[in-house]
Amino acid sequence: MIWNHFLLAAGISTSTWLLAAFIPKRELIRNILVLAGIAGIAIFIGFLWINLERPPLRTLGETRLWYAFFLPIIGFLTYWRWRYNWMLYYSLALSMLFLFINYLHPENFSKTLMPALQSPWFVPHVVVYICAYAFLAASSLVAIRGLYQEYKTELQPKIMLMADNLVYLGFAFLTLGLLFGALWAKEAWGHYWTWDPKETWAFITWLGYLVYIHRRFQMPSKFKSSLWILALAFVILLICWFGVNYLPSAQFSVHTYSQQP
Amino acid sequence: MNKNTKPLWQSPWGYSESFLFAFGLLLVGFVLEFTVGSASFGSIVFPQNLILGTVYILLIALVYVLIRKKPIFKFLSGIPASIGAIAGLSVLVVIMGITPQIPMDNKRIVTSLGFNRLTTSIPFLFINFYLLFILGMVVVRKLFPLKWKNWGFVCSHLGLWITVFAAGLGSGDLQRLRMDLIENRIEGRAYDDKGNYFELPLAIKLNDFKIEEFHPKLAVVDNTTGMLYEATKPSMIMIENKLVCQLHDWEIKVDEFFLTSGRAGDKYYSMVDLGAAPAAKVRLITPAKDTITGWISCGSFNRPHESLKIDERFSLLMTVPEPKKFSSEVSIYTPDGQKQEQTLEVNKSFTVNGWKIYQLSYDEKMGIYSTKSIVEVVKDPWQIFVYIGVFMMMIGSVYMFWRGNKVKNEETIKGVSN
Ligand code: HEM
Repeated sequence: MIWNHFLLAAGISTSTWLLAAFIPKRELIRNILVLAGIAGIAIFIGFLWINLERPPLRTLGETRLWYAFFLPIIGFLTYWRWRYNWMLYYSLALSMLFLFINYLHPENFSKTLMPALQSPWFVPHVVVYICAYAFLAASSLVAIRGLYQEYKTELQPKIMLMADNLVYLGFAFLTLGLLFGALWAKEAWGHYWTWDPKETWAFITWLGYLVYIHRRFQMPSKFKSSLWILALAFVILLICWFGVNYLPSAQFSVHTYSQQP
Repeated sequence: MNKNTKPLWQSPWGYSESFLFAFGLLLVGFVLEFTVGSASFGSIVFPQNLILGTVYILLIALVYVLIRKKPIFKFLSGIPASIGAIAGLSVLVVIMGITPQIPMDNKRIVTSLGFNRLTTSIPFLFINFYLLFILGMVVVRKLFPLKWKNWGFVCSHLGLWITVFAAGLGSGDLQRLRMDLIENRIEGRAYDDKGNYFELPLAIKLNDFKIEEFHPKLAVVDNTTGMLYEATKPSMIMIENKLVCQLHDWEIKVDEFFLTSGRAGDKYYSMVDLGAAPAAKVRLITPAKDTITGWISCGSFNRPHESLKIDERFSLLMTVPEPKKFSSEVSIYTPDGQKQEQTLEVNKSFTVNGWKIYQLSYDEKMGIYSTKSIVEVVKDPWQIFVYIGVFMMMIGSVYMFWRGNKVKNEETIKGVSN
């Protein structure tokens, strides 16, 4: 029965969102469709919660549902505040991807997560990181474009403003991600921060963007060094995301679960 | 604009001086680490950490009063000094991100410089104090005079300062222990993960340990491997009395279901007894329309488990029920002669005398018959300050998301690439 309701909810959300993507010009209708899709997932989560008589946060499938719920909310908020259409569609696409994975792997609803991951902090931690990476990756694309223009000596200042704003938004989410992680670690293991390799590299990434923000704030008219800092920060971010497992320090990481969400 | 041509150490100081400061400090730190070593450093505990913290804050205040009119204050509270300090810290953290942080016995350059335990090395200590000092100067400059429009800045920067300060100083005072509570016994001691026992300033008596379980589920397993059949599909169904359901290719009817029962002869009877286990009488109809009937039970610590053989390959069985909710009804005694009645539950902790008591676990082999409850007691007197700092930073981040880019647009637009 739960399964049928899931299919219904996922079907409604997917179809409203796909419809929304086809009418980007009719803004009001599109926004209503986006919100209706979010509401569909929300109602299903509520239904699941009542039915299971516990917060649905115990299994991989359930946590994916929460991603699928929160991502479009952040995407919509971002769109509402900053008119970044791409962020809205990106978050909708990811959300549909999570629903689709749940559809392909129903067993995820019965596979329980390891106890440490069964925490109300888990979902916000992952969701804000996904958003942070999206913004920061976008800012790096802008930086590369800027460096290219710089190389051709035709750099437009508008590029810098765009990069700045993306970094500010991304950095806000990155900070929240680190903080949620620290609070979660405190609740689960009793320590805010253990300097695990993954944490260490996440912190280095954070420092990289911190330098960029302050450098830009102090020297708004100098572009080249800032652009290089931004490009470097993205390399660190990639190390943090993909490369950590290959570093000598990584054999001792607690973050290398076999089933990364 | 021609900053690069300014001689070193001539006012106003900029990036060169700032980096010299930060990296000079690291150098001194590493030299000290190499020669003196930091092995004698223990973590500082109350009241030394409180004294040290107070002195440090007074020092920042004093320095501010002494130098606030001088150019050096502008340097110490400015972005070049900040970036220098952040870069210094980054170098250490990158080293930490590359070398494994584990004890190594052979004496090599890595160990004598403390690369494998950086967080307890002298350079790390130095750079943190330096960074906190600079950040302190930055915050103080924005706090006096206090301007309403700076609230976002104050939230993120002061929040970071408070977090690092409180978490660093408080780490020595954290205690995290476990207590095994047995029904109707008073326990006043707790043990750490090495098995050392400590007397607590409180005692707990477990009056009742309560546990509720979900109904067990039906599942089909492979007789030879014991693995769940078609584990990739929703493959377990919770048992209810009179349930009729389709599990894979088989239709299953539950004729009778007892939450607690015992076997007598060829039948189970509902009964309440220590170890009485759930049991169900099921009828299974195969695709070939054969009917197989029998009793299944998941057993308990003193009852055997029983499954129903479907054919050579498969059996139908009842899974061990999962806990739905468990809680301990306790009386908590404190030295002042007070007694409090409380219910401890997962995610519902209770704080007494500075100790936070969490429901952690129970005797899992005994399931609903467990008379033992395991709780965790945690004392972290500095946690509240860390949380204040963290929440300030969170507010600062939300503000940052909302406010967006703060870089001065006009200067950017006017700026020339160089
Ligand atoms: C949570 C981390 C941090 C965030 C989000 C952050 C963000 C910012 C932002 C957005 C500004 C622009 C000024 C404004 O808001 O009015 C700024 C300025 C500044 N930050 Fe940070 N910062 C952080 C950490 C630090 C650290 C660690 C330092 C130094 C040790 C620092 C030093 C400064 C300085 C000196 C300014 C310039 C203030 C001025 O001259 O008006 N910040 N920061």
